[in-house]
Amino acid sequence: MPQYFRDSPESLVPDALAGFAAAHADLVAYNPDHGYFRTRHTAPTRRVGLVSGGGSGHEPLHSGFLGTGMLDAACPGRIFASPHNRQIFEASRAVARADGVLHIVKNYTGDRINFGIAAERLAHEGIRCARLLIDDDLATDSDDIAVGRRGTGATLIVEKILGAAADEGRGLEDLVALGTDVTRRARSLAVAAAAHTTPQSGTPAFTLPDNVLEFGVGIHGERAEGTTPHAPLGKLVETMTDQLLAALPDSAGSRVLALVNGLGSITSLELYGIRHAVAKALDDRGVGLDRSLTGTFVSALDMRGFSLTLFATDAEALRLWDAPARTPAWPL
Amino acid sequence: MPDQPGPKGLTHTAVMDWMTRFAATVRSVEPELTALDQKAGDGDFGANLVTGMDGVRRALDALAAGAGNGERDRRGPDAPLDAAARVFLDDVGGTSGPLFGLLFQELADALGMAAAPPGTAALALGTAAGAAAIQRVGEAEVGDKTMVDALVPAARALASCEPTADPAHALHVAAVAAHRGARSTTDLRARRGRASYTGDHSRGVPDPGALAVALLFASAHAELTSIGRLPVS
Repeated sequence: MPQYFRDSPESLVPDALAGFAAAHADLVAYNPDHGYFRTRHTAPTRRVGLVSGGGSGHEPLHSGFLGTGMLDAACPGRIFASPHNRQIFEASRAVARADGVLHIVKNYTGDRINFGIAAERLAHEGIRCARLLIDDDLATDSDDIAVGRRGTGATLIVEKILGAAADEGRGLEDLVALGTDVTRRARSLAVAAAAHTTPQSGTPAFTLPDNVLEFGVGIHGERAEGTTPHAPLGKLVETMTDQLLAALPDSAGSRVLALVNGLGSITSLELYGIRHAVAKALDDRGVGLDRSLTGTFVSALDMRGFSLTLFATDAEALRLWDAPARTPAWPL
Repeated sequence: MPDQPGPKGLTHTAVMDWMTRFAATVRSVEPELTALDQKAGDGDFGANLVTGMDGVRRALDALAAGAGNGERDRRGPDAPLDAAARVFLDDVGGTSGPLFGLLFQELADALGMAAAPPGTAALALGTAAGAAAIQRVGEAEVGDKTMVDALVPAARALASCEPTADPAHALHVAAVAAHRGARSTTDLRARRGRASYTGDHSRGVPDPGALAVALLFASAHAELTSIGRLPVS
């Protein structure tokens, strides 16, 4: 049975936070009183502080993307649990700039409520605050799901593009409009061959029969609505690509950015193979691949699987994507 | 001579008494709140509320001893509510705890900004603002089986009172409205909050958060606390 390398289930997150802070001390600072990270370097032109956060277990999201060109502060919660509103409030207060703060929030009930309470507290102090809700997961796109689509891989794309836009000195409303448009034009799907290991028990969150994939998983070990036979990779990626392309807005052009994201324990060898299959599937369908990013960015502890995000690009988005960023985990 | 709860205004002492009585009330009904939450939620509501109000009690002691409360007038009628808001927003876990913090924060603001001593108009303003903040954050409507089912009727009841009415009367009206609202949740199926995952298991059980809101208003007066007996059995 797989076991995590850690002293105790309780020490997993705090030890990782301490290690992360020390390992990247030139880039980020940890506030132990209030439990958030902030960047040590920010473009002086920035008028809005960018704050994100969420449960731990999705590393390198979000702390890995603190730095010039990306986030100002990140609030790590416990494993798969929303940060407390106090963390978000204090982090926001610390990095608010002339035009306030923007909260980048993945669509989960706990995150919505805790970021919402923090926003009320910020308003109470006269600090401008707006929210960008990320809801890109195609697997939860159903009228039966009242809470709406989950937020997954598109979060990274939004954080990169908005980071660059914030560096240009854009205001709060402008950033919300841009981020809303990016989110609207991005959709993700994820598959898993094996569940993550529950940190408390050391057991898999669920088990799958041999040669069956869970199709449409989330990033908290949620099971998908359905399974699919473990087909050859090319066929699987074609299915995912077709579903994602069909879900992108009609107004979008025929050029995309692809994020090939590992969920925790998939190998680089496999991820680059997936990247290859995605390029072929897009090419076969006459869709241009403008940019791509391959690696583990939005993980689900050690889930053995990957997500694919397609984002319908335009010239401005590409320019912002290509702008320099310096963070612990941004690879370009 | 210490100030007395006047017929038309809420003094510092009156609000201190209100918070102290609420702390005592939630402690005495904690087993019932926990039992209710175990039937339809995750069972931590009563304990969270008691932990929060124990923290508030310590904050009130510190306030009475002259300890700092930020930039506010420590002897103002809003100071006890502001202290309660800090405790619930910062130190109480779960979702409902910080939501109570928002209500306390809005009540504190309304009482703090009113002409002294604040009365029914300030209570109505603060309760309405608290309900609005909680609804903005939690996105619950009346009928979703949450604290909103008690809070919105209380806010409406306060708004229907004459602004110059005796606040004791207004709080009585609010407590009754909140209690009716809390009882009305019994037959509902939860649509928000942790209880929403339990489906029909939430039917037949009043929402503990709504009951706690009713107890908050009932606790404003010693003579009203007796109506705070919970309809559990």
